[in-house]
Amino acid sequence: MTFKIMIDGQVHGVAILARRPHLIVEIGGHRYRVEDLCDGRSGPQSLRIDGQPVAFTRAPGAGGGVDVRLDGRTYEARPFDPAAEAAASGAGSDRVRAPMPGAVVVVHKQAGDAVRRGEAIITIESMKLQMALAAPRDGLLAEVAVREGDVFDKDAVLARLQPAAEER
Amino acid sequence: MRRIESSINTASAEFRRNEAHNRRLVAEFREKQEAARHLRPPRDLDRLARQKKLTPRQRIEKLLDPGTPFLELSSLAANMAYGGEAPSASSIVGIGIVSGREVVVRADDPTVKGGAWYPLTAKKIVRALDIAMENRLPVVHLCDSAGGFLQLQSQVFPDRYMAGRIFRNQSLLSKMGVKQLSLVFGHCTAGGAYIPGLSDYSVIVRGTGAVFLGGPPLVKAATGEDVSVEDLGGAEMHTSVSGTCDYPADSEEHAIAIGREIVSQWDRSERWALQREAPEDPFYDPQDIYGIVPDDIKKAFDMREIIARMVDGSRFHEYQPNYGTTLVCGYANIWGYKVGILANNGVLFNDSSLKGAHFIELCNQNNTPLVFLQNITGYMVGREYERRGITKDGAKMIMAQSCSRVPKFTVMCNGSFGAGNYGMCGRAFDGRFLFAWPNHQIGVMGGDQAANTLAEVKANQMKRAGGTVDQAAVDQVWEETRKAYQEQLSAYYSTSELWDDGIIDPVDTRNALAVALSASLNAPLGPPGYGVFRF
Amino acid sequence: MSLTSTGPAAPSSRHVPFRKVLIANRGEIACRIIRTLREMGIAAVAVHHAVEARAQHVRLADEAVELKGDTPVAAHLDVRQIVAAALATGADAIHPGYGFLSENAGFARAVAEAGLVFVGPDAASIALMGDKISARNFADQHGVPVAPSVMPTADLADFVRRAEAIGFPLLIKAAAGGGGKGMSIVRSADELEGAARIASSEAQRYFGDGRVYAELFVERPRHIEVQVFGDGEGGAIHLFERECSVQRRFQKIIEEAPAANLPGALRDEICASAVRLAAAARYRNAGTVEYILGADGRFFFLEMNTRLQVEHPVTEMITGLDLVRLQLEIAAGHGLPFGQDAVVARGHAVECRICAENPERDFLPETGTIQHLAVPEASYLRFENALDRGQKVTADFDPMLAKLVAHGADRTAAIDRSIAALGDLALFGVTTNTDYLARVLDHPAFRAGDLHTGFVVEHRDALAAREPETGRLHAALIAAALGLREFRSLVLDVPEPHASIGAWRN
Repeated sequence: MTFKIMIDGQVHGVAILARRPHLIVEIGGHRYRVEDLCDGRSGPQSLRIDGQPVAFTRAPGAGGGVDVRLDGRTYEARPFDPAAEAAASGAGSDRVRAPMPGAVVVVHKQAGDAVRRGEAIITIESMKLQMALAAPRDGLLAEVAVREGDVFDKDAVLARLQPAAEER
Repeated sequence: MRRIESSINTASAEFRRNEAHNRRLVAEFREKQEAARHLRPPRDLDRLARQKKLTPRQRIEKLLDPGTPFLELSSLAANMAYGGEAPSASSIVGIGIVSGREVVVRADDPTVKGGAWYPLTAKKIVRALDIAMENRLPVVHLCDSAGGFLQLQSQVFPDRYMAGRIFRNQSLLSKMGVKQLSLVFGHCTAGGAYIPGLSDYSVIVRGTGAVFLGGPPLVKAATGEDVSVEDLGGAEMHTSVSGTCDYPADSEEHAIAIGREIVSQWDRSERWALQREAPEDPFYDPQDIYGIVPDDIKKAFDMREIIARMVDGSRFHEYQPNYGTTLVCGYANIWGYKVGILANNGVLFNDSSLKGAHFIELCNQNNTPLVFLQNITGYMVGREYERRGITKDGAKMIMAQSCSRVPKFTVMCNGSFGAGNYGMCGRAFDGRFLFAWPNHQIGVMGGDQAANTLAEVKANQMKRAGGTVDQAAVDQVWEETRKAYQEQLSAYYSTSELWDDGIIDPVDTRNALAVALSASLNAPLGPPGYGVFRF
Repeated sequence: MSLTSTGPAAPSSRHVPFRKVLIANRGEIACRIIRTLREMGIAAVAVHHAVEARAQHVRLADEAVELKGDTPVAAHLDVRQIVAAALATGADAIHPGYGFLSENAGFARAVAEAGLVFVGPDAASIALMGDKISARNFADQHGVPVAPSVMPTADLADFVRRAEAIGFPLLIKAAAGGGGKGMSIVRSADELEGAARIASSEAQRYFGDGRVYAELFVERPRHIEVQVFGDGEGGAIHLFERECSVQRRFQKIIEEAPAANLPGALRDEICASAVRLAAAARYRNAGTVEYILGADGRFFFLEMNTRLQVEHPVTEMITGLDLVRLQLEIAAGHGLPFGQDAVVARGHAVECRICAENPERDFLPETGTIQHLAVPEASYLRFENALDRGQKVTADFDPMLAKLVAHGADRTAAIDRSIAALGDLALFGVTTNTDYLARVLDHPAFRAGDLHTGFVVEHRDALAAREPETGRLHAALIAAALGLREFRSLVLDVPEPHASIGAWRN
């Protein structure tokens, strides 16, 4: 596997080529010898790249990433994992299923609407508990199979996204 | 530990001749390996691309920690079976690092008849799981198989070491607490469905992954039910309805990422503390091995020269250097790990057998794994040696070796003929790993000896039957026997039949042994003790 | 930075009869004022809205009073509540800082009527200078140059004659207009009548009013301002000038003292005119007289700010004076503590305003949460801020987060130190103009002192962010990766002998 990091919307692979006697990484076809790996903590840090000391400041950033300030520039680095990749490429389930039997309280979106992953499509009520059913991925709603007030069983398909392939 | 003083002259004509010969053999091996790994009918590759699937080798590369070794086992399994149509026996097996943990990786190869299991596929998977059990290595299965190759079901299905053994081993692994993870990229049909079913964890890819006992055509034939793959055994159904699989994944990469995260949760097994020094590269260039191993299997060579190109700093502490000299015994380190090496420098005599048995006992006493470097034509025969008890001395060595509690590793460096194979931990003796070099030959005897023996038998028959010997017929027996032997003696035949864990380039021996040694440390040492030695 | 070294000797010993001062402000300026109060042994009262109850100025102050308000800004503009808070806490005086109520004559009056001391000028001065026309007329009357103009007229011939008298270039525009219609710049007498005629007819066509208006067009104007202090009795001194020409969206982002490449005679002339104005107005306390300076050396009164300026630290840096202390002393009725001759400038100082904004998106304000703050420290640096880790940066207040002030022996040294300090400043969690400021400082035109208020626009392309150099980007990626647990684990958790063997395949 190759570790991927996103900075400014660009995804960069940081490949580990060797660990002994030094860490060797490859980024964009360039190889670097990395020594004095510092520790993982926040604050001013330094390490050596190809024998040259590199000083920087680092702290946890948003989205599970880190922010690095190096040579008068701030880099907001975010690990780019395949889950994010999959979401970005429009994979994911096509169906929104009922997690338990209940009734539809609100239908937020209609067939043909574009939805973002995590966006509420339907709010249902079940066992005196209201919950929003969210889009499993980015996409176009192919169908909303229920109307407000409808009752349904567990596992019923309440909405469907257009399969990713059809959207392209 | 002192460095071995090599007496090899790399400028000699002999060295050059050997080198050319062995490099040709290795090139031939690499060519076969390359073809087994990557040469596929375009339509199979196209189908994979259409399904947006990765090849099994791409999956493995994405699964492994970057910059870590992967010891592939039996890359040329089935290379001489089924007309060559099941490269690597349609299954890839190896040992690698996933999320910092040593694991066995086993991948179906959907580019070979949809990942169908041939008889040797079953044998290879069973062996992979045996390795997992013997070394307590977790297993990651990369599933994508159409199921058993139905045309050969009688050799796949019924017997003790056939497909059923896979699931038996999976169950026992789980009982032993050795973890298994299945990443379901494609279909897991029929028996194949039990691989994720018997894994502790499973991840299934939406759209392409499916698990079912019978696929839609079989269901249609059996019950008349019309059902889609997705409804019958897709990711959505299995992760939300049946609970057969644990995690749905949006893509193969996603599945691999989930899988890596699962492995990262596993406890690191306690390894027993084999003595380990700081590793040191061999002083002599391992590439010299090509010039040392002769171009003819009948020519002898000093195995110390091989040891010098395999062990740390070329250092070797030789045990009993002046006694039983046809068996070289001694201690060395491989990538830091201490090992006891037994290497053949000629036929095994009484003294060399006793030395071997004694050295094995020493290694068992001080927890030192054994490495056997085979180049053996057998135990000495003849009246004098039988009178001195060559059989019972050989039996002592076999007894000590068989009952060893320390892990054993065997490298077939050249010939392996007759009972010498037994004393030197042949395949039957449950060494943890057995590797062979491309020049390796194995048989109860050599091709020439077998041809001579059978030609002699033929001539005698003729004499008894009619008195005259048809020399042409005898020659024909000689030729046919030699040809058949030559084929079956070859390393490619052995490895095709999974008599070993793979052919390796001789220069890779050091790394292969290190990975194998490391793997072996995950299982506790066996119980001490031996059977009855005949004195 | 301690402000002790080079200032005139007398002031620090003078007793100020305040026991407690309320600061009608927040953020960095409130913290900065508290610092001086503390040094002087005066208790500080902070005011705050509920959203900033744990803000640094509240924590630093000896007491704090919450102000109610629909918005935080509304709370800070509530005269009645603030005066009540001062009375309730027993404060003797109120320091308004800058912004908010600092130039509100009504506030100054309310403070005085409550029997409290307003640290600033009296309400009348604020009112006088707060009105652009009255301020301009006052300046004009007292010999402070104002930009010449010709008032709207329909008589073209008369207009042309009077406009010619001003000189060129001239900006001609429709008296009734806007949006650039009928506007033109005239550079010579030959063009004037034609341009006026066209402007007039366009004005007639678009606005139904043919009257045109002309004023002197100052090309590439510089913004120069003079720090003055008055005793309220007609005595006034200046603390030299500041240059604030680098602006974006009409707001200063880099200020320096003294001005770049200003001829000594011109500086004296400008400073003298500012003192003249302050003296004439019988101005009390700190004020700033702002000018437009043309490339031809002509300068014109712009306005007078009757408060402490954001950029006051650059003056403090070169004079070694604590302006807040001076304000308090004058407010206490001590008059001017020293004469003009005692004020000496030493070296050069540059201030950069660190703002939560995106220079790549037309300096639009940015929001976020301060995740980490690492500030460079040196005897020649001041980092004025009130930032806390975890603090939300919202649109509730001004986007200015902090000020970085650097002093150097000369302008180049101050610039170099500023660039280095900006590079070392790590403020994570919200997009800022930090790097943009460094690019401005490092631009050859800035280094040459070739400044004007259109600097940011003129050099827009040169000042745009460059792609990072590959080696630096990769170094940052390595630094980032090694700060991510997953990557560290990938590097460090591989067992032996595998880690040593590396990426071997058989």
